[in-house]
Amino acid sequence: MTAAGGGSTSPIAPYAVVGEVLDKNRTATRRRRSLGTIIWWIVFLIGVAYFLVPLWSTLSWSLQAQPFGAAYTNTLDDPQFAATLLYSFTIGIITVIVSIGIIVPTAFWVRLRVPQLRRLVEFITLLPFVIPPIILVFGLIRSYSHGFLPLTNTDIGSDALLVAAYTVLSFPYMYRAVDTGLRSIDVQSLTEASQSLGAGWLRILWEVILPNLRVSLLAGAFLTLAIVVGEYTIATFLARPAFGPYLALIGGNKAYEPAAVSLISFALTWAAMGVIQYIGRGTRITVAGAR
Amino acid sequence: MTTRHTLTRWAGLLATSTLVLAACSSTGGGGASAGASAAAGAWTPPADLLAAAKGEGTLSTIALPHSWCNYGEALSTFAAATGLKLNELLPDGGSGDEINAIKTNKDNKGPQAPDVVDVGLSFGPQAKTDGLITPYKVKTWDTIPATAKDADGAWYGDYYGVLSFEVNTKVVKTVPADWADLQKPDYKGQVALAGDPTVSNQAISGVWAAGIASGGSLDDATPGLKFFKDLNAAGNFVPIIAKTANVASGETPIRIAWTYNALADKDSLAGNPPIQVVVPKTGRFGGMYVQAISAFAPHPNAAKLWMEFLYSDQGQNLWLKGYCNPIRYDAMVKAGTVDTAAQAKLPDTSGTQLPTLDQITKASDVITKGWATEVGATVK
Amino acid sequence: MGPLSSRRAFFNWLGVVPFFLFSFLFLILPTFYLVIGSFQDKNGAATIQNYADLLGPQTVRTYLNSIEISAVTAIGGCIFGFLLAYAVILGGLPRRLRTALMTFSGVASNFAGVPLAFAFVFTIGRVGLVTVFLKDVLGVNVYAAGFSIYSKIGLEIVYLYFQLPLMVLIIAPAIDGLRREWREAAENMGATPSQYWRLVALPILMPSFLGSAILLFANAFGAQATAYALTGGSIDIATIAISRQMRGDVLFNEGLGYALAMGMVVIMGISIGLYALLQRRSERWLR
Repeated sequence: MTAAGGGSTSPIAPYAVVGEVLDKNRTATRRRRSLGTIIWWIVFLIGVAYFLVPLWSTLSWSLQAQPFGAAYTNTLDDPQFAATLLYSFTIGIITVIVSIGIIVPTAFWVRLRVPQLRRLVEFITLLPFVIPPIILVFGLIRSYSHGFLPLTNTDIGSDALLVAAYTVLSFPYMYRAVDTGLRSIDVQSLTEASQSLGAGWLRILWEVILPNLRVSLLAGAFLTLAIVVGEYTIATFLARPAFGPYLALIGGNKAYEPAAVSLISFALTWAAMGVIQYIGRGTRITVAGAR
Repeated sequence: MTTRHTLTRWAGLLATSTLVLAACSSTGGGGASAGASAAAGAWTPPADLLAAAKGEGTLSTIALPHSWCNYGEALSTFAAATGLKLNELLPDGGSGDEINAIKTNKDNKGPQAPDVVDVGLSFGPQAKTDGLITPYKVKTWDTIPATAKDADGAWYGDYYGVLSFEVNTKVVKTVPADWADLQKPDYKGQVALAGDPTVSNQAISGVWAAGIASGGSLDDATPGLKFFKDLNAAGNFVPIIAKTANVASGETPIRIAWTYNALADKDSLAGNPPIQVVVPKTGRFGGMYVQAISAFAPHPNAAKLWMEFLYSDQGQNLWLKGYCNPIRYDAMVKAGTVDTAAQAKLPDTSGTQLPTLDQITKASDVITKGWATEVGATVK
Repeated sequence: MGPLSSRRAFFNWLGVVPFFLFSFLFLILPTFYLVIGSFQDKNGAATIQNYADLLGPQTVRTYLNSIEISAVTAIGGCIFGFLLAYAVILGGLPRRLRTALMTFSGVASNFAGVPLAFAFVFTIGRVGLVTVFLKDVLGVNVYAAGFSIYSKIGLEIVYLYFQLPLMVLIIAPAIDGLRREWREAAENMGATPSQYWRLVALPILMPSFLGSAILLFANAFGAQATAYALTGGSIDIATIAISRQMRGDVLFNEGLGYALAMGMVVIMGISIGLYALLQRRSERWLR
């Protein structure tokens, strides 16, 4: 039924015409959307292939050990494996908490109150990228092996130093993730609204800002945890019983076990993140003005 | 490779893994102190030193992989005999890292500072000049050859090994017998060093030895650079730092490494895949390592006790068991205290040349400086 | 504007004190040794020879190599990472895939060093799974054709393994911020997809895009373990040059190592400055 032709004088006719055009648009859009989805599926699958094939190669290599699965049983038998992995995970969780505790208030404050400091703060958060870890750890040892804060002289002190070093390493990721998150919510309005309702700063941070940053914080937490578990240089030079040094220890002279260990740690870290993701899921809090 | 078959077996393994774990954990791991000992009697720690060391409680070692010269068994035997705790640092480190660790931790009495080091010969005198090591003469000092120790007792040779080819015979059908063979087209993309020739003693020695076999000498290491330049140009050389896994997977089926490392790999791989260790016909090059006590050691008495252990007959025999030639070998053969079973397993290394300190310094300089420009394995 | 505003100013600065204090204690102070050390020679005497050495052709080439590899993997990581993130967030794929990709990216972004290098050696090395597959099944011998994993290209392929996931994680919140309603509104007003992208989506994403690119660049620039493991230290990049100075014996010149590291800091400073300039321009309309 086209608009042209026929001298229809029904008052509904124009609306029917418009309706049909809109219909055509919607179908076209829908068709375009499903074609788009196919393309995105292809993109996704290519990505998956790139990520999973090297893991598969590692797996098939680790299975060459005789008797079948020996690489895995040897690994799981070794008490050092569980001990160092647990140690690194624990340090990782503590680092995530400390990092969030420092970065979120800072990013929030910079965005809201002292935007002129933004460049400086960003530069500082990017420094850990540029300072090779070997230099950082040498500097840390020189600074804290004597003098006002002799942290390296004790095990607990060295652990604390490790957490501090990892927190610094997490700055680039945590800050960028939080900053991106803050950018996408209307911090100004949220804060003003909360303040006008009588909330203090801490309450604003804890009950309003943090929940809205869920996605960013999770991303930052993932990255930090993965950094800590896989890190080698700093843990080694600070002589901590972490997972990275353990991996290097068995990696030197065993052929199949290192592959098994790296896969197991990959899987375990992935599972841990799945758990964090699960705990952190929930409805996004929406406030008028933010959407 | 039958992936499907493997997958089903893999699933089966997952299902029964708990049972396996339960069974395995009861038998425990590690083969420490398997039948203590061969010809020599077990070492008894000197009482006064032991008491002082116990007061310190820990020994901090550095860069001692457990399969290097059977250090694993040496460490656990020592710990059992003395009751000291072991703090093992930087297992993957090289000699440079060890010296660096002493320097960085000068003011640090914490767990990051090493008590003792085991470094390449060339590192000893420099460390003495820099004031990083402190002299100590073990009870068996006189049986250490004079050429292998510092007169003042600052450093002392511990063992030596010979460079060999570690060959994965599943991949390599015709095993090379000498350095010149490595240049053959049969070995395209198969030859690798076990370290970085600008920092690793083992790798530097590899380059040097190749040179000696192709017209160089202990005084001239430049033919070694040419050898590897040709090897790289021919496409035979793989620039990766080859580890056991690379040899076993066939990626670098020929690795140039110390006999003791190659033989240890052969044992641990146990035929999966089969490894043959070939000591080249010419260009037999020996490398010696030295022990020293850090001048800033947090546990100096534990360090001395460790040295007494290493230079006792038992300690030396444990190194022999790891296919290393312990420094007191000749004296022990004469005294009849050598472990004959381990002795029999050593490959024939007659004609090995051991360089002097000056020769090492000169050659290291030439090789480390020339590697990048000459060979450049310039990764394009 | 008296006591109230100065009190407010004080309060403002107080909010960032924890960050600055922490950074000073555990980042700036240790780095201090880096600066001091770069002006010392082997015996501890003051010198600027280290910096003079930086200008030599060998060192310049070292930096250029690092910059090239970092730039290539940053751009590659940005583009492919963005596509991947977009695919799972707004591409119409099931929600569960997004969660899986996010958590996987967290782990993969730090899968580096020896395990990563070896994983790729097992995959596209001379006797790697894919190499053998291509040779035996498809008849394509990539190594005969000149490809080698032990090359710059090989290293870049390996680097992407942690660059891509990093991009995915960083850009995800920004894509989330691309409200679906905007796209629908644009379509209803007759915009074609390319117009939507050019005029709406890209301008919004650009600041995050640029920030991520710089981050990826810095990430690759500072990477060392992977390159070292893959090429045995024979590839000529800044981080390996530094570690060589810090670790070796004959080449041991700590001061030069520090100077090289300072050079890296300068290069990073320049890139960040560039980023700031670009971002200021693209952020204009958001204010």
